[in-house]
Amino acid sequence: MTFTGAIGAVCMWPLRAIIAACVMLRVHPNALTFAGVVINVLAAWALGLGRFMLAGVLMIIANIFDFIDGKVAKELGLESRFGAFWDSVMDRFSDITLFIGLIFLYSQLHRTDYVIITALAMMFSVMTSYTRARAESLIDRCKVGFMERPERIVLFMIGAFTNRMAAVLWVILVLSIVTVVDRIYYTWRELHGSEGLVTRRAEL
Amino acid sequence: MKRLVTVPALVLWRALFWTYERATWQYDLMVIAILAFVWLTPPVWLGDPVAHDPGPIAWMVERMGSGE
Repeated sequence: MTFTGAIGAVCMWPLRAIIAACVMLRVHPNALTFAGVVINVLAAWALGLGRFMLAGVLMIIANIFDFIDGKVAKELGLESRFGAFWDSVMDRFSDITLFIGLIFLYSQLHRTDYVIITALAMMFSVMTSYTRARAESLIDRCKVGFMERPERIVLFMIGAFTNRMAAVLWVILVLSIVTVVDRIYYTWRELHGSEGLVTRRAEL
Repeated sequence: MKRLVTVPALVLWRALFWTYERATWQYDLMVIAILAFVWLTPPVWLGDPVAHDPGPIAWMVERMGSGE
């Protein structure tokens, strides 16, 4: 087993208990998703005040909700296309909210450089999701690039708990840019390949 | 000689145009590289507005400079 696989397996133990409790109480998965967003707003508020430890704890709680909603939906037989849509939309709200918290903090500290870095990281994080969503309306699958939402969230938590948010923002920014470029290139290659094939077939 | 050039180029290409799943050894390596950057880079090098401690690398450089 890999290092990250082992960490994932350890984290699944308490999560299974929480999922079982939510299933027993028949908590609606969309309510769990919404609760996750509300707690992420509180985490953003804590980030904005520079209270990184509190923000880290709140992010853990928020992302437990975010992680278990799909599993609870499956267990309760409440999986729906609207649920998937709702989850994606709420994820974007959560992402953007955390970045706004940091933008507020850095603006209060009169650090225009980090306001811009955070804003760019926010833009490319949103674009990471958008490029995949748009690509998958044209091609079957576009799951390429490293910096997806789970990586971003874990990095935010690491930045908050170890007070290394600046380094985390640089990592998120650079790898999100690479991921967006990666997805654009992958989609172009897939479409170019298939369109080329169609043209060649038409010529024959 | 050609292989010496192509192997690092291939590694860089695959790191940038990432197609690996989570919980693979390639993913582990990437995670370790990121954590090393986050935890070892002195905050002052990045102009961190919030973290003011020197970080492990600056601490080691300082100790070596003082001859301890």
